[in-house]
Amino acid sequence: MQEKEVIIIGGGAAGLAAAVACQEKGIEDILIIERGDYLGGILNQCIHDGFGLEKFHTSLSGPEYAQRYIDRVVAKKIPFLLNSMVVNLTPQEEVIVINDKGLQHYRAKVIILAMGCRERTRGAISIPGARPSGIYTAGVAQELINLKNYMVGKKIVILGSGDIGLIMARRLILEGAEVITVAEKLPYSSGLPRNINQCLYDFDIPLLLSHTVVDIQGNGRLSGVTIAQIGKRGGIIPESRRKIICDTLLLSVGLIPENELSLEAGIVLDTMTGGPQVDERGQTNIPGIFACGNVLQVHDIVDNVSLEAEYIVEGVAEYLEGKLTKEREIKVELGNDLRYVVPQTLMRPKDIIFSFRVNQPGRKKILIFEDGKRLIKKKSLQRVNPAEMIRVKLSSRDLEGIKTLKIRLV
Amino acid sequence: MEREFVCIICPNGCRIRVEYEGTNIKNITGDECPKGKDYVKNEIINPLRVFTGSVLVEKGDFSLVSVKTPVPIPKEYLKKIGEMTRRIKVEAPIEIGQVIASNLLDNNIDLIATRKVNIINK
Repeated sequence: MQEKEVIIIGGGAAGLAAAVACQEKGIEDILIIERGDYLGGILNQCIHDGFGLEKFHTSLSGPEYAQRYIDRVVAKKIPFLLNSMVVNLTPQEEVIVINDKGLQHYRAKVIILAMGCRERTRGAISIPGARPSGIYTAGVAQELINLKNYMVGKKIVILGSGDIGLIMARRLILEGAEVITVAEKLPYSSGLPRNINQCLYDFDIPLLLSHTVVDIQGNGRLSGVTIAQIGKRGGIIPESRRKIICDTLLLSVGLIPENELSLEAGIVLDTMTGGPQVDERGQTNIPGIFACGNVLQVHDIVDNVSLEAEYIVEGVAEYLEGKLTKEREIKVELGNDLRYVVPQTLMRPKDIIFSFRVNQPGRKKILIFEDGKRLIKKKSLQRVNPAEMIRVKLSSRDLEGIKTLKIRLV
Repeated sequence: MEREFVCIICPNGCRIRVEYEGTNIKNITGDECPKGKDYVKNEIINPLRVFTGSVLVEKGDFSLVSVKTPVPIPKEYLKKIGEMTRRIKVEAPIEIGQVIASNLLDNNIDLIATRKVNIINK
């Protein structure tokens, strides 16, 4: 059994930022465990630009953004393992790692979960029809095209308007494919408005809202899909069914935080975020196990992943100094219009960043924080959109002496 | 006439309203930073985009190197540049910022690497 001060599971955006932040806090004995061939995780395949505007005040591609952190990890000699998969995590902060040297056992004072998320697949949304080749999740297509030099198809339909699907629509066009349409089940897009503009409208790709794929055809290779419109009550309108000839279907239908290890360790998850329930410093129900990045909640912007990782490391440092103990906990209550909030519980009145998502798009809304009947803070929002995470900071003064905390949108 | 733009410069995605006639801009509202103003001006006069893509690498630890134009280029060139990237081949090692192709379309359009690619000896 090898002892470490902090073990970080995952060497992507969250894990790298957490490692660098730990090192800056004076924590020396760190280990990053990464299952892939390289550090940087999914940023490596995100070759489009627009990353780093908040963190570095310049527009970077994914690999450039990752490299800024990798350079710091290397310069500060922070140890990392590649091609190494954590297969078990215990509530005693023990991990079992498997790699080409066999099984290795580690124990740490703190574990930081930074495993990211994975994509929902055809199985998760149960599309009926044939089972030919030519069906990819958008992220897998992105990896094949941007890292493996493998083109996925020529005539493409995309189901789901998540950001990866939108980014891939433009990427496929620039690689010479035809993107026939993007169909979205909901009456609004789940991607960022700027991506709808620069990835679809710039190339005249139609976005069909309230539409879904109801059948897949093809023997061997995909030969077409049937799409249909969804009515007001959520059912398919039969006369709207139409066939589209294509050879490839991309799915961009959501991301799921990857928490199998967390569950095994007995970490309690939030059913709405799919990530661990945490307190204001990202600590899970198991003392000493923290979470940040997409394993905690799916983010739209990598800068926020890095900021979240840096923010929870404040708590990690306090924990290692013995200053972070679970005492009384306040559970944050949510009004109907909010889908989720992170953190889910509070221990102490500190400066806290709350992250939310709304259930539906809306205009001119007010976000209200209250303790019983006492108003703590109000924030007006010009426009809310489920695709855009809302982040609001409350100061320790706002939170001093509160007994309860309810957040609602009116 | 009046039109609403979604600014693509950063993830804030400001909705910016512009009053204009032809290429003569009369009023801009809704922008939260000066970059937004410049963006909509360009959208009306000459829409610009950063091209990002990838080109083949030989002897590298990655088989492709990701590239971008160091500055935004006219939107109508994007597809042509994409086509050209499929015919370019370079050799590892490559550093971030290294020029991969220059003066494409005789229009001063350069491509620079956005990924470090190390050489591998097979």
